[in-house]
Amino acid sequence: MIYRRHILLAGLVLCFAVAPMMARANTIIADLSKDHISIQSNFAGEKLLLFGAVEATVDGPISDIIVILRGPGENFTLRKKQKKLGVWVNGAAYNIGPLPGFYAVASTGKLSQMVPPDILRQHNIGADAMNINFLSSNIEASEQAEAIAGFIRLKQARALYAEAENGVQIIGGRLFRAEINLPSGMPVGTYVTEFFAFQNGRLVGYQTGELPVDIVGAGHILHQAAYEMPLVYGLSGVIMACFMGWGVATLFRRR
Amino acid sequence: MCYPSANSSHAACFGFMSGMFGVGGGFLMTHLLIFVGIPPAVAVATEANQIVASSVSCGLAYWQRRSVDVRMGVILMTGGIAGSYAGVQLFKLLRELGQVDLLISLSYVLFLSVIGGLMMRESLNAIAATRRGQPIRARRPGAHSWILRLPLRMRFRQSKLYISVIPPLLIGFFVGTMSAIMGVGGGFIMVPAMIYLLRMPTNVVIGTSLFQIIFVTASVTILHSVENQTVDILLAFLLMVGGVIGAQFGAIIGQRLRGEQLRALLALIVLGVGLKLFIDLIIQPDELFSVTRMGFGG
Repeated sequence: MIYRRHILLAGLVLCFAVAPMMARANTIIADLSKDHISIQSNFAGEKLLLFGAVEATVDGPISDIIVILRGPGENFTLRKKQKKLGVWVNGAAYNIGPLPGFYAVASTGKLSQMVPPDILRQHNIGADAMNINFLSSNIEASEQAEAIAGFIRLKQARALYAEAENGVQIIGGRLFRAEINLPSGMPVGTYVTEFFAFQNGRLVGYQTGELPVDIVGAGHILHQAAYEMPLVYGLSGVIMACFMGWGVATLFRRR
Repeated sequence: MCYPSANSSHAACFGFMSGMFGVGGGFLMTHLLIFVGIPPAVAVATEANQIVASSVSCGLAYWQRRSVDVRMGVILMTGGIAGSYAGVQLFKLLRELGQVDLLISLSYVLFLSVIGGLMMRESLNAIAATRRGQPIRARRPGAHSWILRLPLRMRFRQSKLYISVIPPLLIGFFVGTMSAIMGVGGGFIMVPAMIYLLRMPTNVVIGTSLFQIIFVTASVTILHSVENQTVDILLAFLLMVGGVIGAQFGAIIGQRLRGEQLRALLALIVLGVGLKLFIDLIIQPDELFSVTRMGFGG
């Protein structure tokens, strides 16, 4: 009996938790300018347009929109240089993850002013709210904080982590658009898009989707071969070099 | 593996230098690749692939002139392939420990300063000698004949030598290891070693050196592909194309400069690169952290 009551209680709680989600399902509706990203060997990065519309609620029009593009999760090794015998060498190593290899947030304003911190953390919004997991234990909090800051700095430097405080523009109170830069070094895999509509710090609309990112063309074949048939790949490199060298020698002799 | 930051203009720039100075130039190119943002591990392995092509194209001419001591080449190559295997294994181990960049940097600092210093001294002496109007004498240092009289002697007809195979095996091994770690052909070590240690006649030295470099860099390319997946064929192709174009212009400029001036200039570049690497190692970097995907060190 007691168990049954617990199940009933859990069910009720679940209903209350899900119901607002369902109610706000059509408050925000969004799409992307592309349904997939193809990385060719000459890929030098591109811009992705994320756009959509928000519907006003009984409390009035929505002005707080957050858009996230998140790459596939990976584990990373972070290393810190130390001075040893007068030379700067890699010292401590931290294994962290899983963390997205790419992470971009665009919003209509400052995240901390739009949404309370606990909600940001709950939905993983913003690099500061990211839950960074250390795979090795016994690391002091100050050391962890320093490593996390270093990690985010490195990712930002390569444009793999980006936050644009005014990256989302609202047009005519209903339409919105955001542009996210996809850098040339972006990892491949299935990306996730998330669209949040907030009103007075409360989540009133949410939509999520997927964006596959693949390497295509010659680059794809080479990439696959390099990892799946490394011997054939290496031999091809050598054969290509021999032909190139022979071709050049023949070409020059004719002169 | 997409590294669009490097393109054929960098390769052309390198080809220009290699045509101008008449050196393989792997030691400059690897560093140039690292400088434009290619991960050091990829730069080294890809450069080895490119050297296969340049050694084939240069080596063919020597082969046709029959100035290759094939037997000596095979002995050097045997040592070289063993050395390249050792080098790639060391590379792999240090890559897992996150220390491969340090290994590459330290090897370069050491070799560039030694080679640059020796070249500078030699070319300055030559310049001074021509100013005084003295003829430049080719100097051969005292014989290290005990080395050549070790057991396992073999006759090398083309080189007119009857020497132990141990020294060429060891030299080959050493250069092969360097080739795997630094992405060089190693001609700049091999050629002096052949002349001064093995006492080979100069007319077969370059051809034989190129002959073994082809096989050793081919071995390095394959081993790095298999063990480290660090060869970028597309980049290697661009380097080969750029190298050919650049070498044309470099050779034209090179012909207008005098040999010893050219060597002094090259020595300056070599010393400069070595100094820059050394400074990078001892001053505190702006960013202490570095990140890789777990299991993909370097």
